[in-house]
Amino acid sequence: MFTIDLLLNALVAGVLLGGFYAAVSLGLTVSFGQLNIVNIAHPAFIILGSYIAYMCNSLWGLDPILVGIIFIPVFFLIGAGAYRLYYESFERKDDEALRGLAFFFGVMFIIEVGLIMVYGVDFRSVQASYIGQNLRVGGVGVPTRMLVPFCVAVAMFSAVYLYMSRTFNGRAIKAVAQDRLALQLMAADPVKIKQLGFGISIGTAALAGALLIIIIPVEPSVGRLYIGQVFAIAVLAGLGSIPGTLVAGIVLGIAESLVSTFFGPSWAPAVAFGILLLALAFRPQGLFGR
Amino acid sequence: MSRIVIDNVEAGYGSVRVLHGVSVSVDSGETVVLLGTNGNGKSTLINCIMGIVAPSAGSITYETDDGEKIELVGKTPQDVVELGITLVPEGRRLFPGLTVSENLMLGAYRDSARRRIAANLEFAFEAFPVLAERRRQLAGSMSGGEQQMLAIARALMSEPRILLIDEPSVGLAPILVSRVIAKIKELKEQRNLTVLMAEQNFNQAIKIADRGYIIVHGTIAFAAASAADLSENEMVKQYYLGA
Repeated sequence: MFTIDLLLNALVAGVLLGGFYAAVSLGLTVSFGQLNIVNIAHPAFIILGSYIAYMCNSLWGLDPILVGIIFIPVFFLIGAGAYRLYYESFERKDDEALRGLAFFFGVMFIIEVGLIMVYGVDFRSVQASYIGQNLRVGGVGVPTRMLVPFCVAVAMFSAVYLYMSRTFNGRAIKAVAQDRLALQLMAADPVKIKQLGFGISIGTAALAGALLIIIIPVEPSVGRLYIGQVFAIAVLAGLGSIPGTLVAGIVLGIAESLVSTFFGPSWAPAVAFGILLLALAFRPQGLFGR
Repeated sequence: MSRIVIDNVEAGYGSVRVLHGVSVSVDSGETVVLLGTNGNGKSTLINCIMGIVAPSAGSITYETDDGEKIELVGKTPQDVVELGITLVPEGRRLFPGLTVSENLMLGAYRDSARRRIAANLEFAFEAFPVLAERRRQLAGSMSGGEQQMLAIARALMSEPRILLIDEPSVGLAPILVSRVIAKIKELKEQRNLTVLMAEQNFNQAIKIADRGYIIVHGTIAFAAASAADLSENEMVKQYYLGA
C-alpha cells in the first residue's frame, strides 16, 4: 500500500542508511580508488573497529563513537605498517596484482579468525543513550540510532575531503597513482605518500566500525555481507571521488530503502548489484568520474 | 653561483650502455642546450642528473649558491628537487585526473616553496593566462600546447635554481613550439633561471641557447662555446640542415 508518509519514511531511512554505507566505503575509495591498492580486507578492518567499540563499551561503558575516534590514530598506524609490509613484499617487485590480493585475503582471515577465537560467532551489540530512541517530525520517524551515525559519517567525509583538497600531502595522495615518477619530480616520496593515504584509509575503518555496531549487531564475518554494497558505491561514485562516494552511498541507501518498503526486504540485497550493473552499462566512469 | 658539473658519466639500461663518458657543465644564469636526435642519450643524461637513472661511473656535482658541493649520484629524484633542480619531463607527465590548479599546487610541494605558493600561483597565472582561465579544468583534457605550458608553470612553482627541460617540442605543432621556446626565454629572464634543455629541434633550440653540446651515440661530439659556434658547425649542418 502506497502512502506519502510511507514514501517519506522510506526516503529518510534511505538517506540515513546511505550516509552509513558511504562511511563504510570511504576507506576503499581512498585505497582502491586513489592509491590503486585492492584492499579486500577493508570490511574486516571495519569489523575489527566494531569489536573494539563493543569491547570498550561493554567493559567500561564508553560511548562507541568516542571509542571510534580514539582508535583512528591506532588504525592509522596499523594501516601505515600494513602498507609498508605490502610495499616491501609485493609492490616494490611489481608483484602486487595477484600476490598482493592474496596478502589482503590473508589479513582478512587473520582478523576474522582472531575475532572468532576471542569472541565466538555470536552477534554483539553496544549500548548508548541514542540507541532505541525515535524523533518524530510530522509523520516521519527518525531513529537516532541512524541519525547519529549519519551525522558522524558526514563529519568524517568533510574532514577527509578537506584534507585531500587543502593540504600538500592530501593533493599528493590524489596524484600518486596517476604518475608516481611525476610525483617524485614534485619532491614528494611516493612510498611515504601511499603509506599516509593507506593509514588514513584504515583510520576511517575505526570510526566506520563503531557506526556499524551502533546500527546493527555484528559478528566476525558480517563484513562480507557488505562487499556488494561497498563495490557498488565505489563504482557508482567514480573511483577515487570522495564527494561521489557520499552521493553514491546515499543513492544506494535510498534505492534499497524504497525497494524494501514497497517490494519487501528480501529484494534489498539485489539493489546493490542492480545499481552496479546499471552503472557499468551506462556510466562506467561513475557519477563523479573523470 | 649555482652550477652543475657532469664529469665522465656512464650509464645505461640493463646491459645496454647509453652514455659513454659524458662531461657537461651548466653555469649560473646560462641557457645550455643539449642537441641530438632520438636515441643518442639526451634524456638519459637528464635522468641521471635527476636521480631517475643511476650512472654506473662518473660524477654529477651540484654547486649551491654558498659554494657547497653536493654529489647528485645516488640521490632520489625528490632529494634532487629539494636541492633546487627541477625537471620539466619529456611527455610533460602532468596528473591528468587533477585540475590545472591542483597540478600547479603540487609543483609547490618542495619544502622551501610552500610558503610562497600564493605569490607563485599568481605569477604562473599572469605568465600563462590560459592556465588561469582553465584552472578548474582537468589537466588531461587540455591541448598539447597548453599541457606543455602547464608542465613548465608547474616546475616553476618549486622555485628552482636550475631548470631542466626535456624535449619541450615533442608532439607540438611548429607554431606552438616557437611559442613555448619564446616563453621559456622570457621566463628565464624574469626569474633569473639557469636552464639546461634537451632538444632535437635545432632551429628552435638555437634561439635561446647561450651555448650547447651535440650528443651522438652517447658521447659529446661537439661542445660549442656560443650559439654561433653551434649553427656553424659542420656536424650540425650535416644532421639538421641537410647540407
